[in-house]
Amino acid sequence: MTTRREIVRTQNVRKTYVMGEEVVHALRGITLTIYAGEYISIMGPSGSGKSTFFNMVGGLDKPTSGEVYIDEVDIAQLDPYELAWLRCRKIGYIFQTFNLIPVMTALENVTLPMVFAGTDPDEAREKGARLLSLVGLGGRLHHKPAQMSGGQQQRVAIARALANDPAIILADEPTGNLDLKTGHEVIELLRRLKDERGVTIITATHDMKMLDVSDRVIWITDGQVSRIQSRAELDIKVGSIDGKQEA
Amino acid sequence: MADEKKRRRAAGRVYACGGVRRERVVVLPWRRTLSMCVANVRHRRGRALITFVCIAVVVAFFAATLAQQELVNELRRVGGVEVHAALERVHAGAPDGAAAARQAAQQRWLLGLSVLLCLTGITNTILMSVTERVREIGTLKCLGALDRFIVRLFLIENACVGVTASVAGAVCGLGVAVVQTGLMTAFSFLSGRMCMWAALYSGPRAVALGTVLTVVASIYPTLVAARMKPADAMRVDV
Repeated sequence: MTTRREIVRTQNVRKTYVMGEEVVHALRGITLTIYAGEYISIMGPSGSGKSTFFNMVGGLDKPTSGEVYIDEVDIAQLDPYELAWLRCRKIGYIFQTFNLIPVMTALENVTLPMVFAGTDPDEAREKGARLLSLVGLGGRLHHKPAQMSGGQQQRVAIARALANDPAIILADEPTGNLDLKTGHEVIELLRRLKDERGVTIITATHDMKMLDVSDRVIWITDGQVSRIQSRAELDIKVGSIDGKQEA
Repeated sequence: MADEKKRRRAAGRVYACGGVRRERVVVLPWRRTLSMCVANVRHRRGRALITFVCIAVVVAFFAATLAQQELVNELRRVGGVEVHAALERVHAGAPDGAAAARQAAQQRWLLGLSVLLCLTGITNTILMSVTERVREIGTLKCLGALDRFIVRLFLIENACVGVTASVAGAVCGLGVAVVQTGLMTAFSFLSGRMCMWAALYSGPRAVALGTVLTVVASIYPTLVAARMKPADAMRVDV
């Protein structure tokens, strides 16, 4: 195997919050490397620091101490403008609650990140339409979020996350608000994107369906990594996974 | 460190990132800002209507007061004995100094109070729409919006409502002033020219008052919105 490119690297990351007189240690030193093209699931009970770590990896929060490198850039060194740029160009976000802008059509939602990135409007529209057909919504460019089902909204959100060809897609419980079948479709779509486009996918999830497609599962308990399961270990645990993927 | 950052900024934010040199741009064109604001106002018509009515009423009151003053002054200046007699009958003639001062003070009080009420009312309404949109603002920030984009979006959105409400209020106020002054003098002495003067005198001031009011009222909610964190987009409980 060739040397894999590191896309996210954390070095002894700690995060403490001061709540009144109490000091809460949300993260107690996490050192971790995520490689380009990996599908990572972060699991952990609520209050484990999972969300804090997830936000850190996604450039939404800065560590109290330690370093977070996203694509070789230490996010603690970035000013707000550069952080905004990083979020705009390097990371695509997918949310549990879809978070489409309600007043905009599907196409406008997808082109918004490209507007921020300064893409030419015609080019952005064309690419937006292409991305929407990629997620199977080619016929719904001008529908508003309220006119779409949950699964469709989430697919628009996935197209939006891909708008600026990010290196990382950060998905926060992407199937949390979807039924079993649409949830499965969304997971399948994410896996396909990983395989075809080589994007790194990092998800925070409770969904066991997600484990089937993950390359590694990182368990966080009490602000520390308690276990990292790789593909091989997962295969043993889940069983005939290859058969499932082919089906 | 600070020097280094300044240098980067001066260089148009071109510097190495992940081994690749590229220009870092984050923009929101004015045209897109405007279309987003208009879409938002349309989407939240009810909320915008509250702000609209608040401002229109205060501006109408202000415009009516100014215009009527101007009309009466003008009538007194050009009118003959009959006009003065007519104005005298409705106590709008040339009242004695003390009474005039009392009346003016009363009007200032009224205006001040209504402005204050209007300010708190609008601030509250906008603050509500900000908290309602926590996730939307967070999402915009995740997609790469800078704080100043959020400021711009909210200020322009509210300024749009403010300006239209002010114009509507000024027109209504002027209408009220003309009708009221006309009723005092049985309309016979009012000329189109007088009304135009009154409009020119009161209109711009009233619109300016309304616009400034809205902008002042939206400063605090806008700052609240701009300070929201991108991680707020992940919140499920809003």
